[in-house]
Amino acid sequence: MGALWVVGEPGPEHGLARISTEIATLVRDLAASSGRDVVGIVVAADPGEPAAELARYLPVVFAIQDEAADALAWSSVAAAHVAALATADAPDLILAGAGPDGRDLAGALSAQTGLGVLTNATGVAWADGGPTVEMSVFGGKLVTTSGFTANRGIVTVRPNVATATPAASPGRIEPRTVGGPTLPAVRVVERVSEAGTAAPIEEAKIIVAGGRGVGGPGGFDLVEQLAGSLGGAVGATRAAVDSGWIPYSQQIGQTGKIVKPELYLALGISGAIQHKVGMQTAGTIVAVNRDPDAPIADFADLLVVGDLFEVGAALLEQLRGRSG
Amino acid sequence: MRIVVLIKPVPDPASAGERLGPDGRLDRAAVPAVVNGNDEYALEAALKLVALAPEGSDVTLLSMAPASAPETLRKALAMGATRGVLVTDPALAGADAVSTARVLAAALRELEFDLALAGVDTSDGVGGTVSAAVAAHLGLPFLSYAARIEPDEAAKAVRVRRISPTGYDLLEAPMPALISCTQALGEPRYPSLKGIMAARSKEIVSRSLADLGIDQATVGGAVATTAVLGTRTPPARGATEIVRGTPAEGASRIVELLAARRLI
Amino acid sequence: MTGPGAGPGDRLTEEQRLLRDAVRELADSRVAARAAEIDRSAEFPEDMRQLLAAQDILALPFPEEHGGLGGDLLSVCLAVEQLSRACATTGLILAAHELGALPILLAGTADQQARWIPRLATGEWLICFALTEAEAGSDAAAARTRAIRDGDAYVISGSKRFITHGSVADLVTVFAVTDPDAPRHRRLSCFVVEVPTAGFAVTRLEHKMGLRGSPTAELAFDEVRVPAANRVGEEGDGFGLALRTFERSRPAIAAQAVGIAQGALEAAVAYARERRQFGQRIGDFQMIGAMLADMDAATEAARQLLYAACAEIDAASPDAGRWSAMCKLVAGDTAMRVTTDAVQVLGGYGYIGDFPVERMMRDAKITQIYEGTQQIQRLVIARALLGKDS
Repeated sequence: MGALWVVGEPGPEHGLARISTEIATLVRDLAASSGRDVVGIVVAADPGEPAAELARYLPVVFAIQDEAADALAWSSVAAAHVAALATADAPDLILAGAGPDGRDLAGALSAQTGLGVLTNATGVAWADGGPTVEMSVFGGKLVTTSGFTANRGIVTVRPNVATATPAASPGRIEPRTVGGPTLPAVRVVERVSEAGTAAPIEEAKIIVAGGRGVGGPGGFDLVEQLAGSLGGAVGATRAAVDSGWIPYSQQIGQTGKIVKPELYLALGISGAIQHKVGMQTAGTIVAVNRDPDAPIADFADLLVVGDLFEVGAALLEQLRGRSG
Repeated sequence: MRIVVLIKPVPDPASAGERLGPDGRLDRAAVPAVVNGNDEYALEAALKLVALAPEGSDVTLLSMAPASAPETLRKALAMGATRGVLVTDPALAGADAVSTARVLAAALRELEFDLALAGVDTSDGVGGTVSAAVAAHLGLPFLSYAARIEPDEAAKAVRVRRISPTGYDLLEAPMPALISCTQALGEPRYPSLKGIMAARSKEIVSRSLADLGIDQATVGGAVATTAVLGTRTPPARGATEIVRGTPAEGASRIVELLAARRLI
Repeated sequence: MTGPGAGPGDRLTEEQRLLRDAVRELADSRVAARAAEIDRSAEFPEDMRQLLAAQDILALPFPEEHGGLGGDLLSVCLAVEQLSRACATTGLILAAHELGALPILLAGTADQQARWIPRLATGEWLICFALTEAEAGSDAAAARTRAIRDGDAYVISGSKRFITHGSVADLVTVFAVTDPDAPRHRRLSCFVVEVPTAGFAVTRLEHKMGLRGSPTAELAFDEVRVPAANRVGEEGDGFGLALRTFERSRPAIAAQAVGIAQGALEAAVAYARERRQFGQRIGDFQMIGAMLADMDAATEAARQLLYAACAEIDAASPDAGRWSAMCKLVAGDTAMRVTTDAVQVLGGYGYIGDFPVERMMRDAKITQIYEGTQQIQRLVIARALLGKDS
C-alpha cells in the first residue's frame, strides 16, 4: 500500500514554508485512519534545516540535496526529484500547498507521473481505501467531496486548514538521491525584497481590507493602523489595487487571493461577487460602509453603517484603549 | 515575436449562476461563457509585447473548449489577437486537469511560438496546475506568477519577475518558454470598435482529437482521474446585524463582537 | 456585465454585445460627466464629437471599403442607445451623422461614395440632413427650395429650417425642387452641398426646450451653385430617397429615446433606493414601486421592439416601413412617459437642475416630434395595415 507524502516547500523560517507544517500535521492525522506510512520530502540546496523542521511533524523525512533547487526555480527541480522518487516508491497521496510553489509542483508532478490532481482542499480524509478531498467551489456556494478514481493522486491544500502541531517526538531524516530526467532549467537571477510587501496574506488570521471607499493611498494608512492594532494583515479589493493604492500582492478576490481568516474587517468594500469569492468563508466578517444596501450586507456578520474614516478612527481609539 | 495565449472559456463569474450537472461536473451550459479573467491579463501582456516589435509578430489564441466557444473567443480576437485555434471534441466533455494538460500540450506542439502565456488559474477550477503540467509535457521552461515579462529576442531568452512573498524573484530562461501570468501585468484593454468589427474576419481553426493524433479513449470524462463523491451546501452565515448610530457606537459594537468571539 | 439590456436573454450576437458594452463603458467614463454642462451651455460639444470620431463610433454606419466599420442597423442603434443613456445630445451626434449620410449610402454613385464617405467615417467631416422648411414639416413634399439646372451645375435657392447640425456640418444633404410641375412625390431631388460655399449661410440657431447642445439651424441658400455630380440619385428621386432614408434613420431616434428612458429609469431607481420618508425607502411604497415597474417594463418593451425592427429592416422586410414607424412611435412615447414619471419620483428634486431627470424630460420631448411626428408614424402604420382604397 502506498504511503502519504508531504512535499515541503521553501520558506523564510528554517527554510520551510509554514503551510508545509500545516499539511504535515494534517497528514499525520491521516496516518491513523488510513493505516499508511506518512513521509515528508524536502528538496533543497541545503536540506538540513528544512528537513529537521519538517521532521518535527512527521516520523520520517527524505532529504534530497540539489544545488539547483536554489539556483533554479524550485518547483521544476523539486518536481523532477519527487517524480523519480514516486516512480520508485509509488505513494498513494502527494500533498503540497495551494500557493504558487505548491501548484507549480503539483502541475509538473501530474504531467510526469500521470497522477490526477485535486486542488484547494479545505479538508482531506480517508475513506474506502483512498483519500477524499473537500473543496469549496462556486465562490463558496457549494462544498464538494471528491476522490481519485484510482484511489491515488496529488492534492494541494489551502492555508489555515490545519493548525501546525509538532509530533510528540521528532522523526528521522533519510538522505535520498534520485537520478532521472530533469525539467528545463529556469535560472534565478536574483531575489528582490520590496518594501511594503507583507507576509503572505493567505496565512493571516486577521485581515483588515480596504476598498474603493478608502479613496486613495492615504486612506490605507488607517487600514494599516487598524491591521497593526489587531495583529493582522492588510488586504484590498481589485479597485484599490488597480487604482495603485496598494500592491497586487494584497489583493483579495477572483483574480487575487482567496483567504479564510478568522476575522475579515472590510472597510469601504461593497462586497461585489468578484471580491466576495475571495473572503466569504472567513470566520467573522465585519463591514463598515456608508451604504446599508451594499451586497456585503447580505453576508457580513456585522455591518456598521457610517463613514469608514470616522468609524475606523473610533475603533482604533477603542482598541488602543483596551490594550491600555 | 510569436506568442500563443492559452484561453479558457469559463462560466461568467458575475452571473453567480454556476452549478454542477447531474454527473457531478461543472454544467457549462448553465451560464454563458466568458474568457477567464486571468487569461485576459495574459492576452494583454502578449498584445503589448508584440506591439513593441510588430514585424512578423502575431498572437494566437489556443483553447480547449466546447464547440460553442468561437463566440466566446471573439472578445479576445477583438482585443487584437491574430487568430484562434480551438480544440474541440465531444469526447473531451468532463475532461479533468490531466486530460486537459495532455490535449493542450499536443495542440501547442503543433504551433510555432517564442512564448506561450496562460493565466495563473481559472475562476471555475481555480486549480492553477494545468500550465505547469503543459510545460512539463512539452519540455518547456516554465516561469510562473509573472508580474513582468521581458523577452530578449536577440538572445532568444526571456526574463520574468515572479511574485514572491517578499517582493519578486527575477527568473531567466531560454525561449521558447511557457509563462503563467498574474493580474500584476496590467489591466486588459477594452476592445476598440475597430477591433470588435475586425474580429469577425479573423479565423478560428478547429482541431479535433483525431487531428491531434490523440486516442479518444485516453482523454475526457470517461477516463477522468477524479470524481465528485458528494456535495453539500455550507450552512448559511446567519442574519447580518446592522448597526447605525454614531461612529463611536458602531466602533464599540465591533469591539464587543470581536471580544465575544475572542478575536481580540 | 449586468443590467437591463445586458443579460444572456437579449439575443444579441457576441459582436453586438461587445460593441454595446464598449460604447456603454465609454459613455459612463467619458460622456456622462459632460451631459449637464452641455445642456447648460447649449454649445455643440466639439470634444464629444472628437471623442466619438477617435473611438471609431462615427465610422460605425459606413462600409468598410471606405474606412467605415460596416456596422448593421442594430449596431448603430446600440451605440446611439448607450450614448443617449448618458447624454442625448451626444447620442444625436451619431444619429444625425448617419441620417445625413444615408441618402449617399442608399443612392450615391461609387464615385460619390468614394468622395464623401471616407472623411465622414473618420469623423473629420460632419453631415446634416436638410429637408424640412418653415412651411414644409410633416408635409415635406411641399418643400419650395428650388434647384435649377444650369449647364453642368444646379443653382439652389431657398431656406431650410430646424436642421440638426446645420451650423457645424461640412456637408449638407439638401432636398430641392427640380420639377415644380411634376406630381408631388417627383418634384424633389437630393444634392450634397460642400460648405462653406458662396451663397450658403446659417441664418438662425434655435433656442430649444431640450437637446440644447445640438445646434438646430436655419440654412439659407442664395443661388448656391452645386455641380451636377453632387446630385444623389436621378432628378425626381428626392422624396422617395427621403422616405427610404427615414426607414433606416427612425430606429436610431427610437434608440435615442430608449437610451433617454433608460437613463431616467436608472436615476429614478437610484433615488428611490436612497431617499427615505416616513421611516423607509420611498421605493418601498407601492405607488412608487408601481411607477418604477411600469417605467422598466415600458422601456424594455420599447427596446425589444427596436431590436426586432432593426433585424426586420436589415433583412429588407417588405414591412420595413411599418416596423420603423412602430419602433419610433413606441420609443418616443415611452421616453416622454418614463422621463415625466422619473421627475415625479424625484419630486421637488426632480424639478431642479441639480438632478438630471428634468433635462432628460426636456430631451425626450423631441423624440415625439422629429424624424416624423408620432402622428405621421401612425399614418404610416395605418396605411400599412389598410392598404390603398381600391
